[in-house]
Amino acid sequence: MKDIGSISLDFSISLGNFKLEVDCQLHQKVTAFLGASGSGKTTLLNCICGTFAPDQGVITFGDEVLYSYDMKINVPSNLRRFGYVFQEGHLFPHLTVEQNIRYGQSRKLRREKDSISQEIEILEIAELQNRYPSQLSGGQRQRVAIARALAMKPRLLLMDEPLASLDGGLKSRIIPYIHHIKNAYEIPIIYVTHAISEAMALADEAYLLSDGKIAASGEPHQILTSPSVLPIANLTGVENIFNLPVTSSDQQKGITELEIGSQSLVVPYMDVEIGERIPIAIRAEDIIISLEPNLPISARNILRGKVDEVDDQVLLSILVEEQRFSVKITHEAREQLQLCKGKEVYCVIKANAVNLLWNEG
Amino acid sequence: MRITPEEVTALLLSVKVALFSLVVMFPLGLLVGWILAKRDFPGKSVINTIVMLPLVLPPVVSGYLLLILLSRNGPIGGILYDLFKIEIVFSQFAVVIAVSIISFPLLVRGIMTGIASVPSELEDTARTLGATPIRVFFTVTLPLAKQGIIAGVILGFAKSLGEFGATLMVAGNIPGKTQTLALSIFSAVQLGQDITVYRLVFISTILAFIAIWITEKFQSTSISKILN
Repeated sequence: MKDIGSISLDFSISLGNFKLEVDCQLHQKVTAFLGASGSGKTTLLNCICGTFAPDQGVITFGDEVLYSYDMKINVPSNLRRFGYVFQEGHLFPHLTVEQNIRYGQSRKLRREKDSISQEIEILEIAELQNRYPSQLSGGQRQRVAIARALAMKPRLLLMDEPLASLDGGLKSRIIPYIHHIKNAYEIPIIYVTHAISEAMALADEAYLLSDGKIAASGEPHQILTSPSVLPIANLTGVENIFNLPVTSSDQQKGITELEIGSQSLVVPYMDVEIGERIPIAIRAEDIIISLEPNLPISARNILRGKVDEVDDQVLLSILVEEQRFSVKITHEAREQLQLCKGKEVYCVIKANAVNLLWNEG
Repeated sequence: MRITPEEVTALLLSVKVALFSLVVMFPLGLLVGWILAKRDFPGKSVINTIVMLPLVLPPVVSGYLLLILLSRNGPIGGILYDLFKIEIVFSQFAVVIAVSIISFPLLVRGIMTGIASVPSELEDTARTLGATPIRVFFTVTLPLAKQGIIAGVILGFAKSLGEFGATLMVAGNIPGKTQTLALSIFSAVQLGQDITVYRLVFISTILAFIAIWITEKFQSTSISKILN
């Protein structure tokens, strides 16, 4: 494999009032850039693939300079050989699926019948080959777009929110394909998304982009503790994300327990090692606030915490040990329970409301 | 109804000139249409205006300007005469030039509408897949702009077939040499040959009808869209 510690991005570009400014070295197989819309994610990819030229700085891939303001180098995008999967797929409407997939291949590869068999197999598009893009569903179109980017034998795969145009069910069906690609192809992947769950599921390293600047970087679960991730989290509807160690896992009872300070969080059983940290997500509207700990209810988790913040909207911030929970309640409920800063409350959470973020496909 | 040999000659000349003009102007039309649709540069609106000018100018005025440019005393005609002893004015070549200038805006407009309708994201995508700009043009832009291009070609061709004013000015109305279908109608009217006029008018109308009908029937980029 190409030494992937060697993608270096150090450039800036202005588009109207917006300015993107990055300086980072990508070391991992899959790097995610996480950010809300308008944070500069797509601009970043456009600069890497050569569709946009930065205003200044340097972009290198290995020892190859792709862009350098000082040296007046800007390698055109068709010579960079970076596969690019776009949010909307951008399949060529006048070509069949097979012609689309082969578009980026060299003349020699195009003549070899089985030169796209790996892509067709991994992305399961064998029956679609003779169709036109208009005859495909959203998920199929995206799989074809991924196959097309891979069939050109790219040196780097760029993915711009490849799942954003798909609805929830389809999303979780595509993620395993991307996982498969990560293992089957010896190329680095740069994955851009506003969905924290995707970054957690796929990336080895993540950068948080905020307003054109890198606000945080590290392992995906590390940057989740960064305060600047919160606005993005709210956008995706998964407000509570934790990375918690496993204390016990019992297949017969069907539960796994995670440690939250001195308390524990019960989640549906998963095949994990004790001590392993796993990323989970809980939606703010899936948490119930109670003033009493001993309730005759089926929910498995009743966590003691303190109200830390009550905002004007309907979002409560509650500290359970060291972890911060965002909880959505109605105005009426807030007034009836007389919730104010410092009040002791209990967070009631069903085990099944806890979603596992990673997906070892 | 019998068509006279003179009328056949006029009809054939019109078709021949229109085809020849199309073959010569099509590559230029592609280039100009692509530039106007996809490129941004200072002075673009000036270029656009110049290309579209013959659409709005009275053809007689365009023809007169061509006459001045191409006559033996004119700047272009003078050079050609001095160098090659060629005289363009009042030749079949002058018909081709007149017809080309008048029909060019319609050709370009069709091509431009077609090319502008191709999302540039698809062209960028093709570039990331390793395609050179030339390959992108021929494998993505052109096939996706097909509808507009065909409409522009048919419309330009039909306009060439019926061109009158500019041709008269710069090529004259010489039977058997520069007298096209439209010009022979004009002559027939002046000579009071009503039957001939009816026949030729009928032929012209049928040709125009077919041209527009084809574009409207088979194209989603219709003529009405191009002219908007």
